[in-house]
Amino acid sequence: MRPAALAVRGVRKRHGDVTALDGVELEIAPGEVLALLGPNGAGKTTLVSIVAGLLRADAGRVRVAGHDIERDAHGARLRLGLAPQELGVYPTLSVRENLRFHGELAGLRRAELQRRVAEVAEALALAPLLGRPARTLSGGEARRLHTGMSVMGRPALLLLDEPTAGADVEMRAQLLALVRKLAADGAGVCYSTHYLHEVEQLGASVAILDAGRIVARGALAALLARYGRARLELVKPSLESVVLDVTGRRCSPERDGAGDARA
Amino acid sequence: MLARSCAIARNDLRVVRRDAFPFVLLVAVPLVGMVFMKPAFRPTLRAEGLVHANGAEQAVPGMLVTCGFLLVSYVGYGFFREHAWRTWERLRASPATTTEILLGKALGSLALATAQFVLVFGLGSVAMGLHVHGSWGAVVLVGAAFALFVVAAGLAVTAVCRTVMQANTIAYLGTLLLACLGGALVPVTLLPGWARAIAPAAPTWWAMRGYRSAIVGGGGRVPGAVAVLLGCALALALVAVWRMRLEEPRQGFA
Repeated sequence: MRPAALAVRGVRKRHGDVTALDGVELEIAPGEVLALLGPNGAGKTTLVSIVAGLLRADAGRVRVAGHDIERDAHGARLRLGLAPQELGVYPTLSVRENLRFHGELAGLRRAELQRRVAEVAEALALAPLLGRPARTLSGGEARRLHTGMSVMGRPALLLLDEPTAGADVEMRAQLLALVRKLAADGAGVCYSTHYLHEVEQLGASVAILDAGRIVARGALAALLARYGRARLELVKPSLESVVLDVTGRRCSPERDGAGDARA
Repeated sequence: MLARSCAIARNDLRVVRRDAFPFVLLVAVPLVGMVFMKPAFRPTLRAEGLVHANGAEQAVPGMLVTCGFLLVSYVGYGFFREHAWRTWERLRASPATTTEILLGKALGSLALATAQFVLVFGLGSVAMGLHVHGSWGAVVLVGAAFALFVVAAGLAVTAVCRTVMQANTIAYLGTLLLACLGGALVPVTLLPGWARAIAPAAPTWWAMRGYRSAIVGGGGRVPGAVAVLLGCALALALVAVWRMRLEEPRQGFA
């Protein structure tokens, strides 16, 4: 049996007096797309940073495809792809050189590397742009390159932190298609986002993080059924309303703008 | 391990190639400097007993040592620009280990130092009439040891600085101070007494001593100079490893 793409056990992290993560337990199966939701300051970026090995947890364990991020950091990172929230590309290098570099870091060489560059460029509609310096790309094109760099090594776990921020409709569709394909190929995907309709489009399972704790976890339909049922009959619950409910941030049904469909 | 380090070094060199002006500066400044320094050094060298000296024996290695230390700021820039471009965290989250990242950054800078050495000595020989009476092998040996020292100094400076301006300030101040103390800009014999007394504490003094021994003949002082430069490189590399915290935030711009 393949190990979980991600297994987080009892992870705690404090930033000074602030508890960022308070005993987080989370698992992502191979092939699963998990939407990590929660309000700003809930601890999403801290959790992603710890899973990526960029931050050290105060307590707890993180395993990526069976490899402990502390004890076997190299093994874990070989199986991990990260696309942080902020764009990180080499502006003076071409799209091809940016992709190649991350392929080389992932251990790809020669023909295999060329093949992978072509695959990723094709999947993200970057093929016509391969020779262009990254600094000349539009925001959406740069975002696609940024994401493409993270999948060069065919990671067992892909961490995408708000990958469609600022993206247009077409690019968003391309990214979601890529995520679905990666999951179909067996990768676990941790998808942190504020665009809740994307979660529904992906058919992702959901984990809701609030004040450093996972307060809800499960399949989208199950969460909607569980937390949406108590709502007025004339309101069709949306995932946004579920997030607001379980995190206790709903102000009032009339003012919260949670996107519920009202009859 | 070497494959990922080489990939990082190649990536850094690609970035330098896309904007070659900083590297041109590393070569152009010593070449321009030699033109002015060569005639000034000729009488001093002849007064020291080198009757056939034309001044290039001091001007070429002197300008290389002076401008070689500027590489300290280039080593730092290799790190700080990753922060400015927000590629640093991606690099850290990649399969490259800390050692591979540091080695890759060092290899890229060593390649620059090698290119600088080849161009400055090559053009110095052709255009300035530099004749190596000793051994080119010894010249290369001193150059290699000095390059290792400079790159290690760059890593150590980067490890203790948080902004690119801090690193540049140390690099430029260090360049001037060490070039003067080492006798790269002014022959040591012309330095004030207090400066002559502390000059041997400067690694550049040993580099100049080694170059001079290798160029004007004998070469007897080369092993000692190389040993001191390698010792300094090792000490600075240890400081870099000790103080470098890859997870610490750094500002890519001042």
